[in-house]
Amino acid sequence: MSWSLPYSRQRRYLTGMDWILGALDHGARKRIGLGGFSQAILDLGGDLSPEILLPLLNQISKRLPLIHGRVARDWLNLAPYWKVPRKSDPPPIPLKVIDFPEEDLNTAERLLDDHVNKPFDSESQHLRFLLIRLGSRRSLLGMVFDHRLLDAFGAEALFRLIDLTFRGQLNEFAPLIKQTEPAHLDHWKRRLTSGRTLNHFLYRLNERTVCALQMPPTGVTRRIKFLHDSLTLEETADFNRRAVEEAGIPMTLPSAAARAIAAMRTAIPSPPLPGQDWLLFTSASARLPGQEWEKLFFNQFSMMTFSADSKSTDPPTQIALVLRDQVFEQMKLQIPFAMQDAGALGRICPHWLGSRLMNLLAGGRFCSFYFACLRDTGFSGESFLGLPVTNLYHKPLVFAPPGLNICMTTFAGRFNLVISYVEDALSDRVAARILHEFKALLVKN
Amino acid sequence: MPNSLTLEEIQSQLCAEIQTIMSLRPGSVTTQTHLPALGMDSLRFVSLLLVIEQKFGVNLMKGGLKPEDTKTVPNFAAVIFARRSA
Repeated sequence: MSWSLPYSRQRRYLTGMDWILGALDHGARKRIGLGGFSQAILDLGGDLSPEILLPLLNQISKRLPLIHGRVARDWLNLAPYWKVPRKSDPPPIPLKVIDFPEEDLNTAERLLDDHVNKPFDSESQHLRFLLIRLGSRRSLLGMVFDHRLLDAFGAEALFRLIDLTFRGQLNEFAPLIKQTEPAHLDHWKRRLTSGRTLNHFLYRLNERTVCALQMPPTGVTRRIKFLHDSLTLEETADFNRRAVEEAGIPMTLPSAAARAIAAMRTAIPSPPLPGQDWLLFTSASARLPGQEWEKLFFNQFSMMTFSADSKSTDPPTQIALVLRDQVFEQMKLQIPFAMQDAGALGRICPHWLGSRLMNLLAGGRFCSFYFACLRDTGFSGESFLGLPVTNLYHKPLVFAPPGLNICMTTFAGRFNLVISYVEDALSDRVAARILHEFKALLVKN
Repeated sequence: MPNSLTLEEIQSQLCAEIQTIMSLRPGSVTTQTHLPALGMDSLRFVSLLLVIEQKFGVNLMKGGLKPEDTKTVPNFAAVIFARRSA
């Protein structure tokens, strides 16, 4: 039976994963001047009016004050928490509008890149919108979100909440959203055992060196760059079918990750990155079906790793089997849960210290790149504020190190592929080659 | 391995395990349930395979499952039953 100390309704104590993300965010700010924020983009088949959107954002902002919260520490129990403001009149969520007379997608993409490459104005600002109207038949709505407040699925669900607010259903759904959380200062024995399991696991990984990009020097602000492509409906369905056949069970993650490794192997010019293994960190959702509203905010996932010998010339189908077995092994060891528990223990450290400790791990070369394959979407609708949604894709965060993120998200049965990378850590030409190879391997029979 | 469990018993235990993994109310998973509709992701599916290995002594992890085997509880239970009998 679990028991928790009474806590203020203005507090949402950080979970282990929230703390880990906060520490990575701190490290990235130090290294490249940008924290852990991403952008989710709605591609709409029509002209979206800011006069409709702005009041909806204001309604949500007032109803969910945690949007304007900030990280603080409870000096009684030493646990960090998200301080939910009491103010009934919160500041507006920024919305910038740019009009183009006609479709100029290249410029629009550049503006969206600029939009995400900008720090928030204050410690309590975590959302920012950019509406680009391309003539009268297309609009792009970019939402930059702070990963300390939302993860990718949550950001998509927030788009859905905006649409439900437009339909007058905010009062029906807002009460379902959990805005507070106790400190969970319990189950110490389990958490300590989990911490030990995770330490052993990470120690084993560190026995071999990791292929990693060389990070640019600390202290200079860098841009994060993005490349985006999509698979067709047929290509996505075909890949999913082949991945299940490869794994022998309904699981696509190892096959997708294997192709990302193979793409890196081909695209990185000779001499290859120094290191014995490709090491990937990947996210594993901690949301159950039906929890999309309750767990809309904060980081509702854990992490796992994949590793593959960098000298191996095995085809992706073979690498996929190795990675599949690594999923089984890590699930047997309960690594995703150990990561959450160990993160909860780490909360006693301030983020700056947590960030330094993580950097000590393998001398800051703790992985080759982040990889995500998200098959669930938080935005299941077909329209947004009355306009048809053509696509929903992300320009996701990349922490530094590793400085590279390869991400697959799903919308309307199609995969969106995005490479995000820190400038000067990877050349544009190599990044384009990685994306090209990755897509080719996904669609190849 | 001696097959001391009947097919019906395997089905009923499988329903209970799926409910636990998906945090569903008792009785919400039945032999009629279409399992993909529950929205079980890869990792929860692996958790289920681990439970099956622990509980029924059958390792289904390294291949050997066709997509149709995992669509309903009776299909899934039939694979477990057959492996236990083999």
